[in-house]
Amino acid sequence: MTKLRTDEIKTGMILSCDLRSRDGRLLLPCGMELEEKHIQLLDRMGVEEVDVVGPSVELDNGALQDIEDYVRDYFLYSNPDHPAVMELFRIALERTASRVAAGWTLPTVEERRAQTVDHLEDLFLKDMGGPEEIAKNETELESFPDIYFRIREVLDSPNVSADRLATVVSTDVGLSAKLLKLVNSPFYGFPSSIDSISRAIALVGGKELSTLALGISTINYFKDIPPELINMEMFWRHSISCGIFSKLIAEQQEGIQSERLFIAGLLHDVGRLIMFKKLPYASREAMLFARENSIPLYEAEISVIGYSHTAVSEVLLKAWKFPENLSEAIDHHHDPMVRPNPLEPAIVHLADNMANAVGVADGGMYAIPGIEDGAWELLGLSSEFLREILGKHDEQIEQILSAFF
Amino acid sequence: MSLFSSSISLRKGVAITDDEFVQLRDFIYEKSGIFVDEKRKYLFESRFRKRLQELSLSSFGDYLKFLKFDSNRKEELVKLFELITTNETSFYRDIKQLDAFQANVLKEVIENIRKQGKSEMHIWSAGCSSGEEPYTLAILLYETLGMEAARWKIRITANDLSMAMIQKARDGLYNEYAMKTTPEQIQKKYFTMETGGWRIKPEVAKMVDFKLLNLNDALALKRVPRSHIVFCRNVIIYFDQDMKKKVINSYYDNLLDGGYLMLGHSESLHKITKAFKPVFYPGTIAYKKE
Ligand SMILES: C[S@@+](CC[C@H](N)C(=O)[O-])C[C@H]1O[C@@H](n2cnc3c(N)ncnc32)[C@H](O)[C@@H]1O
Repeated sequence: MTKLRTDEIKTGMILSCDLRSRDGRLLLPCGMELEEKHIQLLDRMGVEEVDVVGPSVELDNGALQDIEDYVRDYFLYSNPDHPAVMELFRIALERTASRVAAGWTLPTVEERRAQTVDHLEDLFLKDMGGPEEIAKNETELESFPDIYFRIREVLDSPNVSADRLATVVSTDVGLSAKLLKLVNSPFYGFPSSIDSISRAIALVGGKELSTLALGISTINYFKDIPPELINMEMFWRHSISCGIFSKLIAEQQEGIQSERLFIAGLLHDVGRLIMFKKLPYASREAMLFARENSIPLYEAEISVIGYSHTAVSEVLLKAWKFPENLSEAIDHHHDPMVRPNPLEPAIVHLADNMANAVGVADGGMYAIPGIEDGAWELLGLSSEFLREILGKHDEQIEQILSAFF
Repeated sequence: MSLFSSSISLRKGVAITDDEFVQLRDFIYEKSGIFVDEKRKYLFESRFRKRLQELSLSSFGDYLKFLKFDSNRKEELVKLFELITTNETSFYRDIKQLDAFQANVLKEVIENIRKQGKSEMHIWSAGCSSGEEPYTLAILLYETLGMEAARWKIRITANDLSMAMIQKARDGLYNEYAMKTTPEQIQKKYFTMETGGWRIKPEVAKMVDFKLLNLNDALALKRVPRSHIVFCRNVIIYFDQDMKKKVINSYYDNLLDGGYLMLGHSESLHKITKAFKPVFYPGTIAYKKE
């Protein structure tokens, strides 16, 4: 079974589960062989992804070689002898092969290049604005959804009660709905369904819930990014993927609140969103530079723009008064080992690599950033562990995506 | 079940030692001014893999010896330059910059030449890759001069370090990707469609002289005819500070008084030189030699 985008669906493929509209109506039943008219229907209904099986393609040696070349291209920058990198390479190979076997076509070199955004203008020319300048009016507090601050206020007050917290959270209907969806997803794995915010607080804890609320508010904040610049769905899929991996890795470490790491992973690239908003043209040049030089986007940002998305998030999250340990894990997910307490940034660092490796089979654009010396050792994991959490990740990703969007 | 052998590895060729990497990178820098960060060690390892195999060399140490002492070292250097350069480009790249350039810089330069009672112009496109940039400039001149173009004597000198790119540029045949931001009427007017893609028309092509040239070769730079305009976009990004200073200074020397230097979108002369006067336009800065 593979998930394909609607534009990748070909006639003859077979639906591998019931396809329902947003309001739950059955559109097409499981087992249906898709014809042209069905594909048009999906298109009209705005269905973005469909689970299908075959007509499975036999992968001959030529096809396997193409897959290997395609996947290898993402790994050129990383240490080929590193055990974790090697495992990620194998994972990416297998996932890509199974998608291709199910009818997915490997993207061409041209398709993997950044979109053209010549009509979009940067607000700053090179060397005329650093991270502070470009994050500027985003850092004016009133611009950030204030529900988070109201939640924090309750939590920080001396007589914090679950009831008061529930009341504040419930004033934001959209937020409450998303929180409930999330706590009911396999991410938490509670045996029975949770139908109220106060019950969610009792089970998950007030602090955890406020961290989740922070994540959701931040995502809402970034709705107006030019869609021609980046595929926002891919962006958030990568982010959620990284969040899930962060949480799963964090669960292996002593004394870490794993929900916080979920949010750190979820928001690890927020700086990039500000860059897209303020420097669309330069961001696109950085993407081109990354692709043509086979380097991670992080490196390309530094060469092309002069600083990276983590330098931007550092300014932004400080102004938004994010909890310090959360910002630390976000701001240093590319250089964890230079930090006095590298553990949490290192978790997001590894998770980001995993999310990128998984993304290869979704037509991701950029080189795997690679694992810093010492980070893998610090986490004390085995390469088998990476495979174990892969399965859990796959079980959770779709539901969490739908909880957030 | 996996379709790939469980022993499939990421490493495909011989490893480069830290010492060999430093030697190779110093060699590249000395020859081309291109600076390779240590972080790109593995990238280089794989980039050179095929070449080492072709030469039946079993270590980077041997390859370094080959580069330095073999009787074919000159030819090998040409190959090396092709391996280490990246050539991303397209026609009408950075349209906003080109608009500002055409409406202001080019207009002013043309006016000044006219005032001197002349009709000759020289433009230098340094690091021209496969030719899209200098051909775009030739088209802009045609568009700006209109009927007058025939009377003018315009030369565009276009250089690159990669022989493969120079050959491609001379050939003048391009695919859709190269055309992606080219206005449609320009494409119709200055290109003809062929089976292999779009070919630049001879009247545009003849304005441009393509030549292999290494920007690290100070003597060769001195032989480039004096220019009214220098384009050097997305090239100095590959150089270190010293090399940036060297090439920018040679553009300064090459430019005629009142001439302009244009850099890539993500480049500036910040921390390189104060010799030029920056002139600000929406979307770009033009650097004027006063
Ligand atoms: C990214 S391309 C830019 C092409 C074009 N100017 C543009 O902006 O679209 C950079 C080019 O600079 C060339 N280059 C790099 N180092 C050079 C050197 N030392 N001498 C001459 N050309 C060089 C490369 O071969 C490559 O074709």
